[in-house]
Amino acid sequence: MDFMKTIQERRSIRRFRSSPVDPELVFTLLREAQQLYSSGEAAAFRCVYAGTPDSRERLAACMLEPMVKNRLVKWLPEKVRDFVRKRVTDIPGHLAVIAVTGPDRRESDLNYAAVCGIMQNFQLVAWQRRLGVLWDTEPMIQSKELFDLFQMKPEERLVGIFHLGFFDKMPKARARTRAEKKWTVLSGGGG
Amino acid sequence: MLNHAKTGYCGVHSLKYSDKSVSENHVLDLLNVAVWAPNDGLREPWRFIFMGPGSTDIMRGLQEQAPAYLVLVVKEEHDLHKREEDFAATCCLMQNFRLLARENNLHVRMTMNDWIYDRTCAGRLGVQKDERIVAVLEMGYLEPTVEPAAAGNMPDLTFELL
Repeated sequence: MDFMKTIQERRSIRRFRSSPVDPELVFTLLREAQQLYSSGEAAAFRCVYAGTPDSRERLAACMLEPMVKNRLVKWLPEKVRDFVRKRVTDIPGHLAVIAVTGPDRRESDLNYAAVCGIMQNFQLVAWQRRLGVLWDTEPMIQSKELFDLFQMKPEERLVGIFHLGFFDKMPKARARTRAEKKWTVLSGGGG
Repeated sequence: MLNHAKTGYCGVHSLKYSDKSVSENHVLDLLNVAVWAPNDGLREPWRFIFMGPGSTDIMRGLQEQAPAYLVLVVKEEHDLHKREEDFAATCCLMQNFRLLARENNLHVRMTMNDWIYDRTCAGRLGVQKDERIVAVLEMGYLEPTVEPAAAGNMPDLTFELL
């Protein structure tokens, strides 16, 4: 696999086609992503996939609940709520990625880093199949309602939700800062 | 349960690096591709500290011996949520770098040893108060005689439908 090319070409996708994303495909891509991660560094995580109209409705309802409860947002017109709901139900697939936290900070960081690595692999192998991904980290997803929906245990944390779908238009690249500008070379201690 | 402790990959290992040095330019070339990692608000929160030929002794006692080290540093925002996003973005960059290194036969061993959490220790490398070390990558080319590690068992994958 030519990662040089895929890594540079990949874009976050925000506009999806309505065609469904088969859970089989999502599972296959997850497997590939996991295999691409270095062996011997197993990551403790699990995934929950919402790819049917019914499951997307339930996900949308849970996402909206904190907004509805929130007094400030209560005044928002129905239209706005509908917009948010539709945004969730219109996207073909949503994949929640949940990591286990460790007994101390270091172990938690190690596992979190591994899960993020696998998630990046997923984005790359998905791109190779022209499946678009948006890694959602909005604070809004860190709600009790969603944690309940995913039946999360106290030692688990929601790393993010991948919004998935095929796409027609490839977004423009947003240029990156050259590594040379963020580069320090340490010289020896003279020993 | 976490599996890291059991696999012990951060512990003793027996890698044989060749004498070939890791050039700064090669690492920069790979990084310039790796920076295409997704990152929220295009904050590009990372920076890099490199130790190559002649300066690897700085890591003595902290890391295993290697021909070169790359320290991945992330800026720490006040906002805890952004801080988490930035850590995740830097992990994506790190994963890109590891995939690219593998394609280029550059061996990378990722470590998150205890000392990276020690402010004084990190400060000696020039890591600022509003920064932290995400990981230290030990890098080098392996002796051609070394057999690549056998693929481990396929780990579990929990995939539930909502």
